[in-house]
Amino acid sequence: MPDDANEGLPRVALSQLPPDPHRLPPPGAWFAPDAERHLLDRPKFCPMCAASIETHGGISTEYWMGDQRVFMTWCGECGWFGDVVRYDMVTITEEEH
Amino acid sequence: MLTVEQNEELTRVGPGTPMGGLLRRYWYPIAFEQDFDSVPTKTVRLLSEDWTLFKTPKSGRYGIVAEHCPHRSASLTYGVVHEDGIRCGYHGWKWDFEGNCVEQPAEADNQNFRDRVKQRAGKAQVMGGMVWVYVGPDPAPELPRFDVFVMDGVKDCGYATLPCNWLQIMENSVDPHHVEWLHGYYFNFVGETQGFDAPKSFQKKHLKTGFEEMEWGILKRRVLEGGSEDNDDWKVGHPLVFPFYMRVGGAGIDQMQIRVPVDDTTTWKLFYSNHAPTGGQWEQQDRPVFYEYFWRDDQGRFITDYIEGQDIMAWVSQGAVTDRTQEHLGRSDAGVAMLRKMFKENMKKVANGEDPIGTVRESHDIIPLPCERDKFGAEREFAEAFITMGSMRYSPQRQQLLDLHADAWARRERANTSA
Repeated sequence: MPDDANEGLPRVALSQLPPDPHRLPPPGAWFAPDAERHLLDRPKFCPMCAASIETHGGISTEYWMGDQRVFMTWCGECGWFGDVVRYDMVTITEEEH
Repeated sequence: MLTVEQNEELTRVGPGTPMGGLLRRYWYPIAFEQDFDSVPTKTVRLLSEDWTLFKTPKSGRYGIVAEHCPHRSASLTYGVVHEDGIRCGYHGWKWDFEGNCVEQPAEADNQNFRDRVKQRAGKAQVMGGMVWVYVGPDPAPELPRFDVFVMDGVKDCGYATLPCNWLQIMENSVDPHHVEWLHGYYFNFVGETQGFDAPKSFQKKHLKTGFEEMEWGILKRRVLEGGSEDNDDWKVGHPLVFPFYMRVGGAGIDQMQIRVPVDDTTTWKLFYSNHAPTGGQWEQQDRPVFYEYFWRDDQGRFITDYIEGQDIMAWVSQGAVTDRTQEHLGRSDAGVAMLRKMFKENMKKVANGEDPIGTVRESHDIIPLPCERDKFGAEREFAEAFITMGSMRYSPQRQQLLDLHADAWARRERANTSA
């Protein structure tokens, strides 16, 4: 997974994850750690109206782009639709100048 | 990547589920008119429920009721069809088109009893040689007369039942990059292995793709290597028609790819085409030509030497229901994420008592859909490849279709030459 912040750290045991009512894939599932991280890191609240994404019927689909994890998010309360990107380091490619 | 609950919410289509509630707001093709040439009834399965579809003997009107009689659950498919409804073969209870019980022969003539039992019923109509049904709440919307089903031309429809959920097939429709890989690179590999030339037009690289929400769903656009935004692939595009179609076409072929959600793990997949090349001449058909196409060989392997066979391999091999908790999407899957958002958005509309996208309430003759005429910049090659290297290769009228397009092309060339 591209999240370098966790590289080298021991994998979090399922029992140590914060309480969460959501079901996870079985521990032996192929990419269980990625599914666990998705559950922990997906946006919980709308960046526009602050409504809970989950309780207002929204959805956040995670996709990866290079080293970034991007959450394409739709808020069911206000209709905001956009990408929420978690940065570990902000990199900017300079134009010729 | 989604959670377990999100995946279930998006894929479960039975009664009482959020997706089931949304999908029940639409009309579906469920049988062919010719199915009723020799028998008046047929059991059909739609959205995880079994139904009896019937046709009256004189007026030819179609009706649909839940299959199991409310008396003692016998199948109404083995009942007697009247002009005003269907009578259960077991004890003669009779049901009208709205599911009202109008007779209970062995019971005392007790209106109170008849009025306390009601059969679930839907609406049924014919369009394009197929029987369409609506099994959602009243008032039923109009049956959308999308262009392919009603336009003039030679109609051809392949069908098969696939052992997978309909959503993973729909997600394929907003994944343009698979064309250059599955139908380009992989197809070329299969050709080299088996000794044939795969069509080159599918091998062009994508330079740009676009997804735009529109009144019928999501309009897809692409710029291919060697092309520009002036080409039809970008300027016109083609739509995923929410919630279970994709409209494609080019070179005088217009096609609706139909994915009927039979239940959570089964999809009835149809490729319904209309052939009307400019300059072509054809006789009017009594009915479209319907035929089964094949996707597994005698050894149980996927047949991947044709376009739709490659798609089917990709859909079915994901499993009966794709486990989206185990996926790793990239930027090129933005359309897939957008489609999931559209489903969530419309589930919410239905929950709020609103009509979902694509609901038609007005009477109309035809709904035209945008679609490329010049597809992949391939011109003549596209029509031939679409027929010979697609599911139409199984069509009983395959040669007539090839001749139709070849003759039309020849007429256009002569007309251009003489001009």
